Amino acid sequence: MRPTIDKTLLIVLLITFLTSIFLIFNWVPQIKASNEAEQIAQKIFYFHVPSAWLGFMSFFVVFVASVAYLATRQRRWELISVASAEIGVLFITLVLITGPIWAKPVWGIWWTWDARLTSSLILWLIYVAFLMLRRYLPDGSKRANLSAVVGIIGFIDVPIVYYSIRWWETQHPNAVMASGEGSLAGPMFFTFMFSLATFTILYAYILRKRYQLLELEDTLNKQFKEMEIL
Amino acid sequence: MRTAFSILQKDLRMEFRSKESILAMWIFSLLIFVIFNFTFEVSRLVMLEIAPGLLWVAFIFSGMFGLNHSFAVEKEDGNLRSMALMPVDGGQIYLGKFLSVTIIMLMFEFLIFPIFIIFYDLQLSFQMFLLIPVILAGTIGFTSLGTILSAVAVHTRNQQILLSLLLWPLVSPIIIWSVNLTGMVLGGGEIGAVFFPLLIRVAAFDVIFFTIAYMLFDFILED
Repeated sequence: MRPTIDKTLLIVLLITFLTSIFLIFNWVPQIKASNEAEQIAQKIFYFHVPSAWLGFMSFFVVFVASVAYLATRQRRWELISVASAEIGVLFITLVLITGPIWAKPVWGIWWTWDARLTSSLILWLIYVAFLMLRRYLPDGSKRANLSAVVGIIGFIDVPIVYYSIRWWETQHPNAVMASGEGSLAGPMFFTFMFSLATFTILYAYILRKRYQLLELEDTLNKQFKEMEIL
Repeated sequence: MRTAFSILQKDLRMEFRSKESILAMWIFSLLIFVIFNFTFEVSRLVMLEIAPGLLWVAFIFSGMFGLNHSFAVEKEDGNLRSMALMPVDGGQIYLGKFLSVTIIMLMFEFLIFPIFIIFYDLQLSFQMFLLIPVILAGTIGFTSLGTILSAVAVHTRNQQILLSLLLWPLVSPIIIWSVNLTGMVLGGGEIGAVFFPLLIRVAAFDVIFFTIAYMLFDFILED
């Protein structure tokens, strides 16, 4: 069953990924901007925003898996939370890389201590700390408990961080999905949604693979231990 | 409640006998002021603008001593295990530890504040009494999260650095607001309409952080 699901996911992922790239670079109309650099830079939006959304979703999964772990004490929830945290950090890293690439031609600077930028960086730091904590702890139920607690606190903190930093002014382009001026029209909306779907499939695929890898590690460790006893 | 109280009593007695944490925190804050003075040679006006931030930098950097110390002593004496075995709610242990850390930190803040006033030549005014609730709310936010994360970090090889890594990003909202509030008070102008709602907000998040930590503490003690 497992290999079939994996294979199907991979094939779907390949098709959607190629289609997304086609849509983004060949199909969707260019935006009207003062110079070419800005027009090209805008394309990064189709990677930047889905990465951010998926980053949040990963951390939500960390939260759910952490709660589930504390409630059931099943190893698989712990593995899911770790896998998801790793992928979330990866996606937010992509956000933090693609953002400045866009900002340089459009804003003229790589980085500014703007609300959204700062809060994304803090978000990234929270989950890097979560992963580092796991590094520093020996494997076992203690580690599972402690990281589940941090996984829960971390996620509850996320909206608070965003809220607090909005205290400052933001110059980040605002929620484009909302209706009104500057909202996404026809082809752009379609391309964006398609890209988002692609990223979601990518997330599901990596999560499965990472989870399987962690399970394999477990089996391997168990076998090592048995050998040691012998 | 009695468990929490005896932990508090024990911690405070230990602190008053050794004065380990408070002294370290106080000297460290002094050092921070001195180092800032060297690294940012700025005019008095700019100094006034960065003073609120500087005060909180001193508070949170020094506060780490207290937090690290709080569970490190228990680990050294092998008490973590006994705490886990105690037939009481983990929340009670959290409460005791939280109270002792908070009280020690507040005392240190009280002792360093006059130095801060002198070094940065701030004007004393009645308005400064408004700093009491601000510092209280900010400190409680810091210690409520700090206490539980200290109990997490104490199990690692690299306790001190890990506690900072975990705590600072998580507590950043509280610190941002506290710096804002402190700035409003030290600015000397009229206290705007935003002051009290913001102060209440910090207090509300203190309650949230405390409640979460209180509920989750059982899982941390467990083996």
